[in-house]
Formats: sequence, C-alpha cells, structure tokens
Amino acid sequence: MNRIDQLFQNKQKDILSIYFPAGYPKLEDTLPTLQLLQAKGVDLVEIGIPFSDPLADGPVIQSAAKQALDNGMSLQLLFDQLKDARKTIKIPLILMGYWNTVYKFGVDAFLTECQNVGIDGVILPDLPLEEYQEEYKVKFEAAGVHNVLLVTPQTTDKRLAIIEKAASGFLYMVSTAATTGGALQASKEREAYFKKIAALDIPSLIGFGIHDKASFQHAASFSNGAIIGTAFIKALEKGNTSEFLESLQ
Amino acid sequence: MKIKVCGLKYSKNIKELTQLPVDYAGFIFYPKSPRYVGEEFEAAIPALFPKSTRKVGVFVNEELDVLLVKGEKYKLDAMQLHGGESVEYCQKVKEAGFEVIKAFQMNDSFQFNSLDEYENVCDFYLFDTKTENYGGSGRKFNWKVLENYKGSTPFFLSGGIGAQDAEQIKQLSHDKLYALDLNSGFELQPAKKNADQLEIFLNKLELNTMNKDKYAVDERGYYGEFGGAYIPELLRKNVDELQENYLKILASEQFKKDYARLLDNYVGRPTPLTKAGNLSKRYGTNIYLKREDLTHTGAHKINNTIGQILLAKYMGKKRIIAETGAGQHGVATATVCALFGLECIVYMGALDVERQAPNVARMKMLGAKVVPAISGNQTLKDATNEAIRDWIANPESFYLIGSVVGPHPYPDLVTRLQSIISKEIREQLEKETGNPNPNYVIACVGGGSNAAGAFYHYLNEKDVNLVAVEASGLGVDSGETAATITIGDIGFIHGSKTMLMQDEDGQITEPYSISAGLDYPGVGPLHAHLAVSGRAQFLSATDDEALNAAKVLAESEGIIPALESAHALAALEKIQFKNDDVVVLNLSGRGDKDMETYMKKFN
Ligand SMILES: Cc1ncc(COP(=O)(O)O)c(C=O)c1O
Repeated sequence: MNRIDQLFQNKQKDILSIYFPAGYPKLEDTLPTLQLLQAKGVDLVEIGIPFSDPLADGPVIQSAAKQALDNGMSLQLLFDQLKDARKTIKIPLILMGYWNTVYKFGVDAFLTECQNVGIDGVILPDLPLEEYQEEYKVKFEAAGVHNVLLVTPQTTDKRLAIIEKAASGFLYMVSTAATTGGALQASKEREAYFKKIAALDIPSLIGFGIHDKASFQHAASFSNGAIIGTAFIKALEKGNTSEFLESLQ
Repeated sequence: MKIKVCGLKYSKNIKELTQLPVDYAGFIFYPKSPRYVGEEFEAAIPALFPKSTRKVGVFVNEELDVLLVKGEKYKLDAMQLHGGESVEYCQKVKEAGFEVIKAFQMNDSFQFNSLDEYENVCDFYLFDTKTENYGGSGRKFNWKVLENYKGSTPFFLSGGIGAQDAEQIKQLSHDKLYALDLNSGFELQPAKKNADQLEIFLNKLELNTMNKDKYAVDERGYYGEFGGAYIPELLRKNVDELQENYLKILASEQFKKDYARLLDNYVGRPTPLTKAGNLSKRYGTNIYLKREDLTHTGAHKINNTIGQILLAKYMGKKRIIAETGAGQHGVATATVCALFGLECIVYMGALDVERQAPNVARMKMLGAKVVPAISGNQTLKDATNEAIRDWIANPESFYLIGSVVGPHPYPDLVTRLQSIISKEIREQLEKETGNPNPNYVIACVGGGSNAAGAFYHYLNEKDVNLVAVEASGLGVDSGETAATITIGDIGFIHGSKTMLMQDEDGQITEPYSISAGLDYPGVGPLHAHLAVSGRAQFLSATDDEALNAAKVLAESEGIIPALESAHALAALEKIQFKNDDVVVLNLSGRGDKDMETYMKKFN
C-alpha cells in the first residue's frame, strides 16, 4: 500500500508535513535532514526539486532553491542521494517541483526513479490537471505515485468538484492567495473555506503561511494536518532544526 | 492518394490532426505494441475525428469476439488484421460489417501469389516491412518488390515512411497504391504524432487541401503543440476568467469603438509606411519601414496596452501589474493607467532599471510604481516572475502582459491587439504598389509581439516570407545569447509550453542581449509553432550587428531605431533580395531610450 494512504488510514489528526529543498543548505544534506525529520516524529516529507524559476514561491524558498542549484543539485542527483533512503526512512516521501524539470528529465524515467527510490507522491503545481489526466495519469497510477492536487481560496465550486474527483492521496489546501512564506491571517472566510475542503471525502493538509506551533494547531484544527516549509528552511539556515521541530510538539 | 495515420492515442494530439486531411485514423489494440491504446481508452477519443475520417482498429491474432466488442465500443469502420489471420477469419470480420485491411509483411522474396486466396474477402491489403514483431519497426522495405504485385486489391503502403520520403513517394506509380500508412516516422514519442511535420509532408505531396487557419490558437490555447496554460492552481481562476471573457469583450461593439478611437486619436494610428529610398539602394531592393516608432510612447507596445486596459476596465479591475524589459511596455502601461486612472505597478529587472534609465523616469513621472526585480539575471524573465508572483498574491489585480507570452489566452490576446500592424501594412502597401502582399516581412523577436502583429494577416499567405530576428548577443554559441529558437528546446516558461533556453537539468538559462527588450530565454508559443512548422524563417543578429545596423539607418534615413528594431535591420545584411522584391520591415520602436548605449559605442 502506498505510504501516504497508509498514513491517512492510521492517523487523521495533527499530521505534520515538512517541506525542504534537496541539496540545501549543503549538497549532501538531503538524507541527514530526512533522518532528522523522521526521528523528530514528522509524519510526511515534501522534498523540493530545486528550480531556477519557482513561480509560486516567495523569497526564502527562492533563495534556498538557488543555493541548492549553486551547490550542484539536480533531479538526477536527488535520485542518487535517495538510492538507499528506504533502508532507514519509513515515512511517506513526496517530491515537489516544477513541471519543466520533470518534463526535461522525461516522465517515464522520472517515474521509474520514483519507484526505485520509494517516492509515494508528487506535487507539480504548474502541471495543469487536464494535461495530467490526458497524458500522464495512467503512467503515474501504474507507478503507484500519487499526484497531489492543490486547492486555493480562489478555487470555484465547479472546479473543486473536478479536483475532488481527480484527487489522489490528499488535497494540498493552500491557505491564502500568496506565494510561499507569508503569515496566515485568521478570518471568517478563511475558516469557511477550510471547513468546506475538510468536509470533502479526501484528506487534506493546509499549507502556505504555517510557521509555528500556534499556526500549526490552528490549521490542523480544520483539517488532517498542516505543512511547514519556509519556517523550517529558516531553521535549516540558522542550524536550529531540532529546537524548531521540538517547539512544534 | 489517401492518408492513414496510425498509432494514435491522445485526444489533444488528435485534435491537432483533425486540422489535417486524415482519411484513416488507426488505433492499435495489440497490447504488446508501444502504441497500444491501453485498457482505459475512452470511446470518445476516436470520435474526435469527423465522420469523414474512417476509424481503423489494428489487431494481431485477436479473439474474434474481442475484436467485435472493440469494434462496437469504439465505433470502428475498418479492421486492420496485422497477424496471421486466416481467410475464414477475414471473412467473418467482413460479414460483421467492417472493412477489412489485411496486412502482409514484405521482404525481397515475398511471394505475392500467397495473397490470391484473400482477394475476395479483403477490401485492402497493407504492405509493411517484415519484422519479428508484427511491424512497428520504423524501417522501410525495398519498394521495388511492389512491382511484383499484380493483384486487383488496392493497398496501403506502410513501414517506416518519414518526412524525407516525399519525393520518392511522388515517383511511385503503382496503380493499386491506394493510401500511405504513416506512423513512427512522424512521432514526437510513441503514439504522439508531430502534426507540424505531417503537415509539411502532406504539403509536399500536395495533399493538404484543407484551408483552415493553421496558425490560429485552438480552443485550449495551443498553436500546434505549443502554448496552453501551465499555471499553478493559484492562478487558475484569474486565467479562466480571462479565457472566458477576452473574445467576447474584443468582439463587442463598445470595445471595437473605444479601441479604434484611442488608436486613432491617442496613439496616432495609422502609423506611416515609409519607403526607405537610401536603404533600398544600399540593399538593391524595395524596403518599406512600418513606423511603430512614431506611435505615442515610441513603440508598438502601446497597441497592446490600450486594448488590455479596456479589457481590464470592462472586467472591473482597479490595480494593474506589468513586467517590462526595455521599459517600453512599462511606459505604455503606465501611460494607459494614467489615462484611465488605475493603479500601476511595473516590475523591471534591476539591470534593466539601470540600462534603460530614461524609461524608468518616464514611468515614475506617469505615476507608476517601478519595482526592481533582484532575482536571477535581473532582466525581463525575472521581472515576469515577480509580476506573476504579485498576481498570485493579488488575484483581484489585472496582469497586463507585454508580449505574446504567458498562459493562454495572453499569446492570442496580445497577437490580436498587435494585428493592427499588418492590417495597416496591407492597406498601405496595396495603395502604394497595387499588391497588399510583400515578398518579405521582417521583425525582431523578444517575446514576439511586434513580429506577431506584423505577421498576423500574412500567416496564411504562402507567397509572403516571414522573417523573425532574434538577438544572439555575443553570438549564438557564445553562451551569452538570447537566440531562443536557434539554441533552445521544448520547455515551459511563464505558463506556456514553448521553445526555451535551458540546461540539461531543465533549469532555465540566463539570456544575454545588449537589447533589454530581446533579453528573454523564451519566445511566444505562436513563434515556436511558426519555427517548427517552417512557416517563418528565424535569423539572429549579434549586439554588434544590431548596433551597426542602427547607425546605418540613422545615417541613411534620418531615423534612430530602438536597439530591438535594430536587430531586424541587421537581417537586411543576411538575405539575398531581388531588385523587384518588396520588403516590409517592422520598425518596432524609436531609439531615444538607447542613446546612452549608442553613444558608448559610437563616440
Ligand atoms: C521597441 C521594441 N521592439 C521590440 C521589443 C520586443 O518585444 P516583442 O518581441 O514582444 O515585440 C521591445 C520590448 O521591449 C521593444 O521595446
């Protein structure tokens, strides 16, 4: 069974997912960071594939991606780094990146590598759902890789119905209209949006703007859990990842 | 001669092919084939073809029941039997109401008398190259053996036919040759056909009788295989809203009236078409300059911003975001925002802020906020990234894009708004020479908006050569270039599938050109399509070639061109014109903003 499905079967509340870019802050940090996250009880990890032009990301993730690229990070190298990861890493792993890098790598080769290293899902924000369904869905399903879809506060009900039907794994509920790294402002409309998505038949995690225990708990109270990216990257930068992860407990 | 395209699967791809004269469409139901349609193949997909295209199921030694079920489900007209099916089997398929196409595998010693017993039960034969695995080898057989075929059943010629075979096929004279079966020779990947290449091939065979507008965007925003809307879900609603509204608004009487009035009275259209006498003498031909440099704000960019600001107004938008390279689009946006009293935020690469200082000052005087983009090379690509990020964070804003780039509908929207350029050229040229069509239209290409506008009304006029000129910076192989079509390959940038400068890991390469307006690693999807289909010729000019061409124009005609337009002028050196050729060059902008660069070079 796919590890993402297993996770949501075993745990419905307070799922903590962490995002960090591969090869950051040092090229060889990918695997040690994964091991730390697992040891600290993180439920799910999204590994970022660094891209030169990350459109949906704010300054912190942009500059982390740039540093990873300057370190020499690439998608092939990431798969190489993850070759033996499954000997120690048991939690579900997701690759998150932009479509151009995956397309250039070759979708078939990408999925083969995902299978080889034990990737459970991908988040490809700029691959349109229609393209995915027409050209790639069969392949992703055959490889057992979930394509995790995003919903946003702007998503219309009509589109939400389409996304719900196409969703696999869980829904990535974007908290606000923003690039990554902002702060989550609580509001009536936002809560109504969270509740609407949480009422769907598929699990959901809230991301964008979740940065500490309070915002995590707030978000997790409306969904199955939440995703922290920028705040963890800042901790990687400062070198206080353990304290940061413990502060979330 | 009929055309069968075989090994189809994907609906988007099929939609492209419906633009071509496909007589037979083949779907492979043999699970071992790399082009197998798969278990979940939807019945709606073959139906995308019109009735006039016959749908063929390809089977290899399949159980008769299975074949009949598939025939029913997918509404197949014909069955191609590609294994060792017996005469009796063929008979049963025929009795079930299907056309029967029986395949045979050819080699030099093929005995055609073995076909005799099939004569009356088959509608057609299909002669394929002999392989171990029932065809699909991509290899041709020796077509000389066809001379030995004396039967009366017409046949499909199959096996490895590719674009390079057009001439040889024209020489074939067998009177039973009924159709060509095209497959792996025209593929981007298994089961995905290259519609552009097919089209060129059919043109060569003079079989392409369809007169559709092949260069218009389709309903999903594609030009051939390029375009689309590759955007994060965060922008979906905005882009959908624009897709749903833009054609309606552009077609409305109110828009047409407002747009025409502003172009006349505010922009100063029509712009002149100037016969450049001295330049014509220099190049031994007849050169006309389309004077976009004489518009208000000094470049073609304003044609687009006037149209988009009207769109924004009708859609009730209050805040306008734009990106700019040379600053011309930024100035043109700041101008229309001032005119309409709307808030204006312009993103501009920090390097461009420096090298296009006069335009930064103009934008500020017009009341716009200029935000330097400090990521990447700090040029147009980075400014565009920042503008899109702003749009994500402010979805109620209107993103007023400056070229024929970005997600659908922007490339089409901007092309339509710039098409006024070629509309006027046609009228002016007709008056001047009696013929609306020149021999050449030449324009520079950054994102490609002035070129799209200058080409638009000529796209389907085959006698007009379209020449697009990219900036090659220090040279196409120097690593310091912006010649996307020349050195790029297929990728995704700013929401569009197009040609792109990128490294082998799919990281977008930083471009370089002395001209800020051409300093972009992508190109509009229309141009990618024009390049791949061969409709337009893509040349490039280096920094130095452009600088020198600017000097030539200044001294011979008394016109100082923008550095961008100077790249188009540089192409005059690279084409062998005839004395009586008529050449229209789109002078996209004036050179005021580039004086510092020119002074540095020529003083
Ligand atoms: C005068 C002029 N010409 C051409 C361009 C290039 O843009 P496009 O290729 O969209 O026409 C620019 C862009 O800033 C420009 O200012």
